[in-house]
Amino acid sequence: MKIDMKKLAAWFDDRLALTPIFKYMTKKEVPQHEHSFWYYTGSSILLFLFIQIVTGIMLALYYQPTLEGATDSIGRIMTELPLGWLIRSVHSWSSTFMIAFVMIHLLAIWFTKSYRKPREATWMTGMMLLVVSMVFGFTGYLLPWDDLSLSATKVGTNIPMAIPVVGKWVTQFLRGGGDVTGDTLTRFYLFHVCILPLVIFAILAVHILLVQKEGMSVPLKDEIAKKKVPALPFWPNFILREVVIWLVLLGVLLTISLAFAPSLELTADLMAPAPEGVKPEWYFLFLFQTLKIFPANMGPVTGEFVAVVLILIAVVAIFFLPFIDNKPEGKKGKLIQYLGVAGLIYAIVFSIWSLL
Amino acid sequence: MRKIRVLYLLVMVPVVLAPLAAVAQPSGVPPTVKDKAQIEAAVAAQAAPTQQAKPAPAPPAAKKPAAKKAEVKRTEPIVPAYSGIREKMAVIVFYVWLWFSIAVLIYFLRLWIKEADRVYKAKYYEPEESPRKDNPMAPVLGD
Repeated sequence: MKIDMKKLAAWFDDRLALTPIFKYMTKKEVPQHEHSFWYYTGSSILLFLFIQIVTGIMLALYYQPTLEGATDSIGRIMTELPLGWLIRSVHSWSSTFMIAFVMIHLLAIWFTKSYRKPREATWMTGMMLLVVSMVFGFTGYLLPWDDLSLSATKVGTNIPMAIPVVGKWVTQFLRGGGDVTGDTLTRFYLFHVCILPLVIFAILAVHILLVQKEGMSVPLKDEIAKKKVPALPFWPNFILREVVIWLVLLGVLLTISLAFAPSLELTADLMAPAPEGVKPEWYFLFLFQTLKIFPANMGPVTGEFVAVVLILIAVVAIFFLPFIDNKPEGKKGKLIQYLGVAGLIYAIVFSIWSLL
Repeated sequence: MRKIRVLYLLVMVPVVLAPLAAVAQPSGVPPTVKDKAQIEAAVAAQAAPTQQAKPAPAPPAAKKPAAKKAEVKRTEPIVPAYSGIREKMAVIVFYVWLWFSIAVLIYFLRLWIKEADRVYKAKYYEPEESPRKDNPMAPVLGD
């Protein structure tokens, strides 16, 4: 039977209203300038998110979120299932890549000041995506249920205790009780595979919608000079360039995943003391070190409380950055630029310090 | 041009999938665990000092000792590693194939990008100037 492809295409077009989408795709343009390279970081995040979803579903087919089964089920994935160790490795490394690219993307937006009017909401949803990505990493870190992940989760879930009034409640909610137990594991698994994906998809949909609505920003100096920036069609010119980047990133991801597959430590013992050298994932290291440098007591309050409050203030300030930096071309704009550089240096130095 | 692309895909898809299938069975052991004895042996293998990330070999005929071994608590971490020259070579071959495939794909993509840029600069699909103005999908799906 010969299928009439034109009729089939017309049928899909009629039912799904594809013509307006194609028309939009052909009309959409991407500005071309000296900072255009940073546009590619956005789509790279989507690539890693897609890999996370696919490998995550494959791992979830065999993973058991119970005290007795968590470590053994991962052991089974690694030793019995064909390429199970590689799928776990790709899942682990792509999460690292994804968070790294979210950070690079946000820093690029910060330094090019692309958050300026009318893209404030895009920045804010981007910040939300960074926080959700980090929570993804935090909840996923516990799932192997080994000594290191148990101790890191104990430290991590203990931090909200420093917040007055609600702190104790938040910690109890995260742990599902007073301490990290099997209930915490089940809870973290639920967050990791059900609640957080829903949250990230909802925020991502709004973020992408806003990017489509406002389009991609042009450099500040060109906007001030009202210079017409040359542009490239999104389809196929820009998307083909993105595919090149994706291929290279896929190659790097597979190479690293094959060469440095994560190992599986022994099952966590709830009664055992915390092992030495407990460290969170790399993207929490600078926060971890910040908490460590504060003294136990600072007058009437604890040092941890002061550190947590300072970190919260910084996060809120970054979240509302487009409103704080309302005149990006002025002196305040330059100061915020320097603050961004200082913050980046601080995060790198403190992360390295934490590893020493 | 379209025929060449289809031909290229027909060649590249098996080329891409074949090494993956080969790596899936690095030591020639079937990837699926077929009977209970194999499952028991694989679980028992977790008690070994250093684990290899591949299916365990077939166990001896006796089933009871294997079941007993399965209850032994793991005392060493599982560290994925390549054992033997065969697996190490397989990984090297995979790396070479991977980056070669990427290089070939990028080469074809570059040609496609150049062509797309040329068509754009020539304003081939501009609604006012294009003879294809009645087909809004043309830039996306082709003529």
